[in-house]
Amino acid sequence: MRRPSARFRPKDVVDFVVVGSGAAGGIVAKELATAGLSVVVLEQGPRLDPGQFEHDEFKYFFRSGIVNDPKLQPQTFAPTPNEPAKQGAGTLLYARLVGGGSVHFTANYWRFHEIDFVEASRHGRISGTGFADWPITYADLEPYYTKAEWELGVSGVPGPFDAPRSRPYPLPPLPVKSSGVLFERGCRKLGLHSQPTPLAILSQRFHGREPCHHCGFCLAFGCEFGAKSSTLATVIPMAEATGHCEIRPNSYVRGVEIDEKTGRTVGVVYFDDRKVEHLQRARAVVLCANGAETPRLLLMSQSKRFPHGLANSSGLVGKYLMFNGYCETGATFEQPLNEWKSVAASRMIHDFYDTDPARGFYGGGGIDARFIGYPVGFALGGVFGGLPPTDPTWGPEYKRLLRTSYSHSMVAAGHTTSLPLESNAVSLDRELKDAWGLPALRFTYQDHADDLATMRFLQAKALEILEAAGARRAWKAPVQPSTFAVHLLGTCRMGNDPRTSVVDRHHRTHDVPNLFLCDGSSFVTSGRGQPTCTIQALAYRAGEHIAGFARRGEI
Amino acid sequence: MLDDSLGRRAFLAASGTAIASAWLAADPDQLRASLAHARDARAAALPPPWEFLTPEQAADMDAIAAQIIPTDDLPGAREAGVVHFVDHSLATWGQDQRDPFASGLDELNRDAQRRWPGTGRFATLSPARQVELLRAAEKTPFFQMMRFVTVAGTFANPSWGGNHDHIGWRILGFEDRFVWQPPFGAYDASGGAAK
Repeated sequence: MRRPSARFRPKDVVDFVVVGSGAAGGIVAKELATAGLSVVVLEQGPRLDPGQFEHDEFKYFFRSGIVNDPKLQPQTFAPTPNEPAKQGAGTLLYARLVGGGSVHFTANYWRFHEIDFVEASRHGRISGTGFADWPITYADLEPYYTKAEWELGVSGVPGPFDAPRSRPYPLPPLPVKSSGVLFERGCRKLGLHSQPTPLAILSQRFHGREPCHHCGFCLAFGCEFGAKSSTLATVIPMAEATGHCEIRPNSYVRGVEIDEKTGRTVGVVYFDDRKVEHLQRARAVVLCANGAETPRLLLMSQSKRFPHGLANSSGLVGKYLMFNGYCETGATFEQPLNEWKSVAASRMIHDFYDTDPARGFYGGGGIDARFIGYPVGFALGGVFGGLPPTDPTWGPEYKRLLRTSYSHSMVAAGHTTSLPLESNAVSLDRELKDAWGLPALRFTYQDHADDLATMRFLQAKALEILEAAGARRAWKAPVQPSTFAVHLLGTCRMGNDPRTSVVDRHHRTHDVPNLFLCDGSSFVTSGRGQPTCTIQALAYRAGEHIAGFARRGEI
Repeated sequence: MLDDSLGRRAFLAASGTAIASAWLAADPDQLRASLAHARDARAAALPPPWEFLTPEQAADMDAIAAQIIPTDDLPGAREAGVVHFVDHSLATWGQDQRDPFASGLDELNRDAQRRWPGTGRFATLSPARQVELLRAAEKTPFFQMMRFVTVAGTFANPSWGGNHDHIGWRILGFEDRFVWQPPFGAYDASGGAAK
C-alpha cells in the first residue's frame, strides 16, 4: 500500500513544478524534494501499481496500453518541412504513465563514451548538420552516471571499450540467454569483444526490491516485480517519502504561464482528469516531459514576450530531433533458444562504437543479441521483424515456419548515431487538434545519408556474427527511412551560446531564469543508443544543481 | 520444434525444475487430442450466437482465417477461434472496422461470382478456389486486415476472444508462466558462456 504523500492545492505557490514523472522527472523531483524543496509533479498519464501491470501483448502494442494513443493525441508526419504532414504517417511513441519511459523501456543502460561529448571538435564539423560539442564532458557527468547506477540499481560488468568509472556496477550481470551464448560464439570467431549488456534490471535483491524473475514480458511492459529499475519503483517513492513531494497523475499540462512584466514563469496550466483547467503556481518550473512533449509545450506556451514559443529566442525549440538508428539481423538455429523468456538482450559489442573515417561516413554504434519479439508481432512480421522478409506471410508453409522458427530464433540489433539536422523537428500542426483541443504534434524527419550508411554497416557486421555462430538461416530486415521513434532527442539542446542552444550547461533556459528543461531534449548529440542512462545522469546532475540554485536564492 | 522432445527434455533436466511443465510433457499428443475434440465439436454443434457477424460473414471469416493459418497436423486459426475474436472486436472496440470489413468481404464474394458465376459464398468454395481468391486480393487493404485479425485472433491473449486453449501459443512453443529460471534455451543450458 502506498504511503500518504504531500497534497498541495493549485493556488499554493510550491517551490517547483516538475512536468513529467518519467526517467528524468522522477529523478529531478526526488533530488529537489530531498533538498527540502516543495515539489508538485504533473504527469499526464495514470498511476499504475505494479499489480496492475499485465502480460497482454495485444493491449500494450496494438491498443496503446501504457503509451500515447493516436486516437486521443494524434500526430502528423512528413519527411521534410516543405511537404504536407499526414496524420498517422509517423509516430513518436512514449510511455504515458507515472514512471514514463523508465517503466516501458528495454532497460539497456549504456553510458556515453568520452568521445560522445566532444566528437564535433575531434571529427570536425559536418556541413548541413548541427553537429556540435556538448557544453559538458564525460568527466562532468561521470559522478552522476555512478549515482544513477547505484541508486536505481543497474546490473553489469564494465566492458572493454567503456569510459573510466569511479565505481563498479552495484549488481552482477543477469544470466546469459541462448542468444547471448550464440552471439559470443560468433564474436569470438571474428575477434570481436562480446560483453554482458548493462541493464537497469536487478539481478539480485537490492534495497528491499525483488530481482528479475525472467518472466519474458520485459521490453514495453511494466515490471510487476519492481525489478526493472523504473523511477516508479525507485526515486518516486523516495520523493514522496520526504513528505513534500506530490505526484499528481492524469494532469495534462497545456502551457507554462509567464509574467509578462518580469519574464519569469509563475506556474503551469493543466487539465485534470475531468478536463477542468487549473493553474498550479510555483516559484520555478522544470520540464521533463520527453523530447517530443517538452518542445511541444514550449511552442504551445506563446505569449507577447515569446511570440515564437517560450524560451525560443534561438529559434531552436523543437529542432535537431534525433532518433538513433536501428537495424536488425535475424537468425534461426537448430535447437530451441526460447528467447521469449527473460530480458530482451544479454550480450553486446562496442567494437564499432567509434567513427572510422576510413569507412567513408560519419557514425558508429553497438550491436546487441536480443529476442525475436512477442507472439503477435512475430507472426505479423513487417515492421515487427519476425520471419525473414522473403518468407511466405500466409498459408501452410507460413504456418510451418511459425512453428519451427519462433523458439529457435534471435535478433542481432544495431544501434547507431543520428546526426542533428535542423529540418528534423517537432512543431505544432496548424490544423489538427488532440482530444483536449490542443494543437497536435507534427514532426519531420529524414535520416542523414551517414546514418543509413552506419545502419547498413552494422547490419552487415551483425550478419557476419550470426553466421559465424552457426545460424541455420540468417537474414537482414530491410533498413527503411525512419518514421517511428521511441528515442526522442535533441529538441531543446544544451549549449553555452544562447543563439545556438535552448538551455545552458545546468539545464536553465537561456531566456527564462526560473524555467529549466531536462530530458532527452537536452542532448546535443545522439550517442549510440540507449539514451535513458544518460538522460538519468543528466537528471541527477540537473536536480543537484537546480536544488543548489534554489537554496542559494539564485533562481 | 514440437517434435524436438529430446531437446526439451534435455534442458528441462538441466534447469533442475522439479515440476515438469504440463504443457511440455503433454505436447504434442494433447495438442492433437484438442484438435480432434474441436473437429467433433464443430460437427455436432449449432453455430453459436454472434455478437455482430451474420452467420454468412462468420462462415466466410472462419474460412479466410483457415487459409491464412491453416490446420495441418496441428490446430490452426479455425480451432483457435479467430472468428470469435473478430466477432467480439467488431461488436466492441473495433467498431470503426465494420464498414471496411463488410465491404471487403462483399468485394471478395463479388470476385468469386466474376470468376465462377453461380457459385456460393467464399466459405462454400473449394480450398483451391479460396486460395486463388485470396492470392488475387493479397495486395489489398482488406487482405492485410484479414491477415492482421487472423494473427491477432490466433496469438493474442485469450481474453481478446481468440487463441482458444492457448492453441496459438502452443504452435509457437510459447508459454507465459510469469516466472522462469535459467537455463532458458538449449545453448545457455549446454555450453553456457563465461560472464
